[in-house]
Amino acid sequence: MPEIKVTPLGAGQDVGRSCILVSIGGKNIMLDCGMHMGYNDDRRFPDFSYITQNGRLTDFLDCVIISHFHLDHCGALPYMSEMVGYDGPIYMTHPTKAICPILLEDFRKITVDKKGETNFFTSQMIKDCMKKVIPLNLHQTVQVDDELEIKAYYAGHVLGAAMVHIKVGSESVVYTVSVNKFALCHSGAAWIDKCRPDILISESTYATTIRDSKRCRERDFLKKVHETIERGGKVLIPVFALGRAQELCILLETFWERMNLKAPIYFSTGLTEKANHYYKLFITWTNQKIRKTFVQRNMFEFKHIKAFDRSYADNPGPMVVFATPGMLHAGQSLQIFKKWAGNDKNMVIMPGYCVQGTIGHKILNGQRKLEMEGRSTLDVKLQVEYMSFSAHADAKGIMQLIRMAEPRNMLLVHGEAAKMEFLKGKIEQEFNCYTPANGETVAVTTNPSVPVDISLNLLKREMALGGPLPDPKKPRTMHGTLIMKENLVSSEQALKELGLNEHQLRFTCRVQLQDPHSDSDTLHRIYTHLKSVLKDYTIQHLPDGTVMVESIVIKVSSSAEDANAKVLLLSWSYQDEDLGSYLSSLLKKGLPT
Amino acid sequence: MMGETEAVEIDDILDDWFIESLKSYKDLHVYQLEHPTQIIEWTSGKTVCVAGYSSGKNEILELCLPLKLLADEKKSLCAERDFKVVHGGFSEGPVCCLTHIPGTRCAVTNDGLTSDLQLWDLGADDTDVIRKTGSLPGTSVSQAGSRIAARLSSPPQVLHGPQSSSVQLTQLSTGQTLYRLEVDSTEPLSSLKFVSETTFLASCCDGTVYLADTRTSAPPQASPPPGECAPWWTDASAAPQCRVIRLSSSGQAVVSDLRNLGGALCRAQLDVQTLPRKPEDVTVAWAPALDGCFSVSGLSGLVQIYDSAGWRAEPQDASPLFQHAGHSVSSQHGDGSAPVFITTHVWHPERPRTLLSAASDGSVHVWDWVDPQTN
Repeated sequence: MPEIKVTPLGAGQDVGRSCILVSIGGKNIMLDCGMHMGYNDDRRFPDFSYITQNGRLTDFLDCVIISHFHLDHCGALPYMSEMVGYDGPIYMTHPTKAICPILLEDFRKITVDKKGETNFFTSQMIKDCMKKVIPLNLHQTVQVDDELEIKAYYAGHVLGAAMVHIKVGSESVVYTVSVNKFALCHSGAAWIDKCRPDILISESTYATTIRDSKRCRERDFLKKVHETIERGGKVLIPVFALGRAQELCILLETFWERMNLKAPIYFSTGLTEKANHYYKLFITWTNQKIRKTFVQRNMFEFKHIKAFDRSYADNPGPMVVFATPGMLHAGQSLQIFKKWAGNDKNMVIMPGYCVQGTIGHKILNGQRKLEMEGRSTLDVKLQVEYMSFSAHADAKGIMQLIRMAEPRNMLLVHGEAAKMEFLKGKIEQEFNCYTPANGETVAVTTNPSVPVDISLNLLKREMALGGPLPDPKKPRTMHGTLIMKENLVSSEQALKELGLNEHQLRFTCRVQLQDPHSDSDTLHRIYTHLKSVLKDYTIQHLPDGTVMVESIVIKVSSSAEDANAKVLLLSWSYQDEDLGSYLSSLLKKGLPT
Repeated sequence: MMGETEAVEIDDILDDWFIESLKSYKDLHVYQLEHPTQIIEWTSGKTVCVAGYSSGKNEILELCLPLKLLADEKKSLCAERDFKVVHGGFSEGPVCCLTHIPGTRCAVTNDGLTSDLQLWDLGADDTDVIRKTGSLPGTSVSQAGSRIAARLSSPPQVLHGPQSSSVQLTQLSTGQTLYRLEVDSTEPLSSLKFVSETTFLASCCDGTVYLADTRTSAPPQASPPPGECAPWWTDASAAPQCRVIRLSSSGQAVVSDLRNLGGALCRAQLDVQTLPRKPEDVTVAWAPALDGCFSVSGLSGLVQIYDSAGWRAEPQDASPLFQHAGHSVSSQHGDGSAPVFITTHVWHPERPRTLLSAASDGSVHVWDWVDPQTN
């Protein structure tokens, strides 16, 4: 039976290092190649030996697809491609391709330079790995080869995050990490509606989350900023170049206008240039609000938001500054932080996750004394606030996706077994649901439909034979030749098309019979006997001295050795094999007296 | 489905209320459940149960409150604002009443259609599934739903019944009836509550309340309705205050001492809309940690908080100390459909000003309000 096999190498019944193998229609695809951020040794990588014990990755895999730039989905990619070895195509969206190397390099620096680890991929390996990347556009079908087709769709999770539709023949798999309601409302979401993939693979981590509204998160942010400004303090917001910074700026600008606030808001110029550049590239990926701002005016022509100059950090009075990098590990945001950390009226708002080893991570863990270069210590007196603005999926989003897509089978990854039972039960009320562990293969039987057409000649010939019309409860067997270009034709036409000669196959069988009568009498007795036994068949006694049952020919001749014995010769064509065998067995039993 | 431009318009409507909320709430969380709930029941200091009430199959969910709300000293370092579904299960019918048995992982539900009770295991760490473990038959007489109250006892016992004549105390493990309230009146109940280990208050929709002791078969103390305009709703505060408040659908509030239910300590006319109400529409609850404060929902589309401290024996008009308008302001329903109404609300057992409220559109809000008098 045809089947699709799915084996998680990472994130099967656990969280972190997502890496899923899919075998569909003879093709092997790796979905994501992530790093587990909780381990410091080889356990941080997916277990590739599952494949490599039987051969090279390049020979086994037809392609690798990366869903988005988070390290638990792409962090092991350079390790896999350059250290284990893979030279085949790696697919990801344009924003993912732009952002991945930056995050991978940052991560590499922190792991190797700050933590002193060896056996890790190098900067050159990251570059070599990215050379193997083929970028994907949304809604564009990509033929990986003659049979394997992939297409990326907007997932709304982080910038560049995609849902992937994989198709081989009439079998298909859809993979999505996380989908929020905006992705499902997005203009390009119509494709999911009743797309009915054989398998829908989705993460279950967020299925148990019920999200606080975006407005409440924004409210909290504004409240903190406002309270700090009111007491004369300064607010530092370290950001990555993209995404949150622009949305938070628009939010602050609207708030400042509404409340008639006068304190200055600054945006560091390095950020401005990078952001402008990225936004020009990825305009289709941003949401309506930002797009409107960008199109209507240069986004940095805000009334209240100005370009930052580092001398402003020493100005007295309240202010808000957006600066890079996001984890406070270097650059301008760190310089400003050092200046402002000693004053308890000030605040730093961290809008994202910080990698272990960075100052961002340390202060988010409550550390109030930091060791800086030259053995100096920094007392952290300012208020530290951690705010999350990520647009992850939640319980509603996932159920909505499943009901829209109507998969034949559902497969959940990236969640602990004990925490997936309820969701599995919920899905199983409407769909089949699997929750494989790492290294466990789920084989899903598919029922691919093979559409077949029938030639008119063949149909006419069948109808001419008469008999009842075929109906679903009484199928009618017929003979024909199937040419694998979806046509059922008559044998003659098939032979003609294929340029082959027709060969007829005939079977002959001799049956000895004790019968003292004359040849013609014996023949007549055979005729009478068969007529009484085989009532539904056409039996003829022909003038040339043969009996025909359908197309089977029976002849009688006297035995040379025994005067009382007869030799019956039965001859039939391949098509009547069953009947022929039956007749020979029947006649061997002898004739009634 | 809402397009993104529609979302921007609602954002504008929210602006006024949200800007005000910066000062009027310390914390505010707004959630959208897949299906609305009529119940919010504490199962621990950090977890609540909610459940659907549609006519077919419904989900029972145990939710963990957002860590950010609960983290006191480390609040600023915690970014977690979301509810987590820690356990979930399925009920064949609606869930109109759900009571957690203290000290256990057991809950008892009633579907509002008969007086039978269903028993559930809320699950431990090794599973996230809530399973039905059994049922307790109610009185065959009734076609109405039961109120339920759990007794602080070992082994666990529940007090339940649809009307004053069929209140019984049942031992969960054996199904044995340990006590019956000896009252003839067949008035439907609006609530049942234990006020001590053995005494309980059975409050009827017509305003009558019975104070009874499960150790004795003597008839209970009865107190007639304090006025007109049924239905009435009642709540009793914990010791040492021992206050009982009765509220009518016209907004009349009467506060009595538990030891003298016939007399009224003070009365007031609340600022509510006088529309016909069903008994299950309204919730009145004393604040567990704010002396004299109580909350009301279901009479005005808002959750109102009143302070009865200054009330006198002669009835006067009372204005709410605080009003939570979040559900009507951020309603997901478009124009033309029925207005959103609040189905239930509860106070946090320890945090003085933290409440949870749920509405008919599936919204659940968690809010910590600022006392306007301190500003």
